[in-house]
Amino acid sequence: MSAKTVQFLILTRLIKIMTKKNSNPRVAIYDLTDCEGCEVKIVSLREKLLVLEKRIDIVDWRLGQERKEDGPFDVTLIEGAPITQEEIDLIKSLREKSKFLIGLGSCATLGGIPAIMEKSEREKWCKKIYGEKYKPRGIDALPLSAYIHVDFLIHGCPIEESELVRTVEELLSGKKPSYRGYSVCFECKQAGNPCRLIDEKPCLGPITQGGCGAVCINGGSPCYGCFGLREDANIDALLKILNNITDPPGGEASKKEIERYFSMFLNKVNK
Amino acid sequence: MNNFIAKIEGHGNLNIDWDAGEVKLNIFEGERLFEGILVGRTAEEMAWITPRICGVCPTAHNLASLNAIENALGIKPSKTTVLLRDLMQCGQMIQSHVLHLFFLVLPDYIGIDRATELAPKNPAAFKDALSLKEVSDKIVQIVGGRIVHPTTTTIGGFHKVPTKSALKVLLKKLKETEDAARKTIQIFEGIEYPELKVDLKLAAQEGEYIIAVSSTDIEKKDKSLITDYKKNIEEEVREYSTAKFSKYKGEETLVGSLARLAVFGSSASKIDFTNPFHNNIAQAIETLYYHQKAIEIVEKLLEMKINAEAIKQSSNPSLKGIGSTEAPRGGLYHEVHLSQDNDIIYANIITPTVQNLTSIEKSAKALLGQTKNKSREEMEKLLTMLVRAYDPCISCSAH
Repeated sequence: MSAKTVQFLILTRLIKIMTKKNSNPRVAIYDLTDCEGCEVKIVSLREKLLVLEKRIDIVDWRLGQERKEDGPFDVTLIEGAPITQEEIDLIKSLREKSKFLIGLGSCATLGGIPAIMEKSEREKWCKKIYGEKYKPRGIDALPLSAYIHVDFLIHGCPIEESELVRTVEELLSGKKPSYRGYSVCFECKQAGNPCRLIDEKPCLGPITQGGCGAVCINGGSPCYGCFGLREDANIDALLKILNNITDPPGGEASKKEIERYFSMFLNKVNK
Repeated sequence: MNNFIAKIEGHGNLNIDWDAGEVKLNIFEGERLFEGILVGRTAEEMAWITPRICGVCPTAHNLASLNAIENALGIKPSKTTVLLRDLMQCGQMIQSHVLHLFFLVLPDYIGIDRATELAPKNPAAFKDALSLKEVSDKIVQIVGGRIVHPTTTTIGGFHKVPTKSALKVLLKKLKETEDAARKTIQIFEGIEYPELKVDLKLAAQEGEYIIAVSSTDIEKKDKSLITDYKKNIEEEVREYSTAKFSKYKGEETLVGSLARLAVFGSSASKIDFTNPFHNNIAQAIETLYYHQKAIEIVEKLLEMKINAEAIKQSSNPSLKGIGSTEAPRGGLYHEVHLSQDNDIIYANIITPTVQNLTSIEKSAKALLGQTKNKSREEMEKLLTMLVRAYDPCISCSAH
């Protein structure tokens, strides 16, 4: 099958799922190991959540309700990083039960902050934190895509509410959700921020997908790339700039500083 | 697996031994090993990384980390910075309490499942809940830059401070919602909670001290220095949990709203400190308290020049610091050691829920012993409600 045919099939399937006449699409929301901040953002939708609930049927959501129906689900949102074997098994079974599966937030989409921890270092730290006798449950902090096919990624640490609403709206109108075709820089300019890179402060804005409204830079913090790499990100060009503005250019300290930026959210992402 | 207590933050379930009358709280969260993640990162990054321990109380972690780093670097933040941070804490308390009370607890008592079902059932209460959620989100948004995981805070001060016009808008919103905070107390005082009597220690931070009282005698206060937190809050590893369990000075101790009211004195007559279910009344009372405190702070800020530029570190800092704060669920402790280059070489974090876990088990055992004529199914529901009353944050506990 050509890519175009696959696209067409996905689209027709989606239209069928999301625009069913008689019943609303069945939605499940799951969380794995994480901070649950993205689900807090769902609650922060407030009145909008009520509006959304008129068009979708949340049949399984541990944080929000006791009601717990089994699959199949039309849409499943998964927040968090699968760290334990049980979580890995769970997402595999959710994949089988779900027609359209979405990663919610950077832990699910990129591995996020928990993925700063290298697999090879886990044993050492488990011993230090829990003691010699402790039997660890975690294997490695990786994004969902390390184990299952994920249909769409809603990035962010935490997610931006508007991106979640947009994704659901697009699904409800039978469209395959699309990624932002521009970088954080675009929104950063709109927000009127001075450019960090011109001011010789490191920033991953140019290679990071937009959609966040440059919220971190607005607040005075750098962009660490939690919205994931944008399509055709020119990492080499950014590395050249970062090399020039970190001190001393090309030196060990400079390399370490650049590595810190790339390891905050993107440590387990194939760059 | 996949059978977790609903409507609590994180993944846990109960293992009930009906014959022995014992309850164990299994915690399944994967280990994220934050204390390891922090080592090798810079001092500045600590307050960026630790909020990700918990999305319900990220601001508390952010502030505790800043506090720890500033102590390590010998920085005393300006009065304006302290005021702005106190305002963030007010917002954090209301955000967390309102989420817990209306979205996780209330459904148990009024016969609904999901909180949004409150909208048709009691539109006025639902509107109040949303308006409190909105105004508390707004506080943290305006001062911290984002409602979850702050962006404006930094070591020694703020990258950016709120404008006066933003604060004026906030003040108006706060005044409009004060009544909703008052009504929240009425709702949660009006609930008939399950009966339970437990002899627990209740502890809260005050200045440089941890103050502890007994649930049966809140007048007698025991004091210990926060700098001795590691000695007094002893952590223990249990094979059924990825979170540690701790006791304060060897005793099961409850921390959080109920403990703060016990320690700081509450005039509310309806509260019974021996009944952990009453933590929900305490959270409602605190919602109004922090709401009023937020109004006071904003009024103060509007009268002064708001400059919270970051203060530089002292010339010969100790490079070791402890940061503490009262998070929504109780006393939070962050400790950090830095290298000469301000890289983190050691980190230790004790969260409120780690302290509460042992007291949850003790209270659950008491509930099993004291409740008569209930089926196992009813008893399980009651125990789940008890866990929920504590508002455990399991993500925090298994950081």
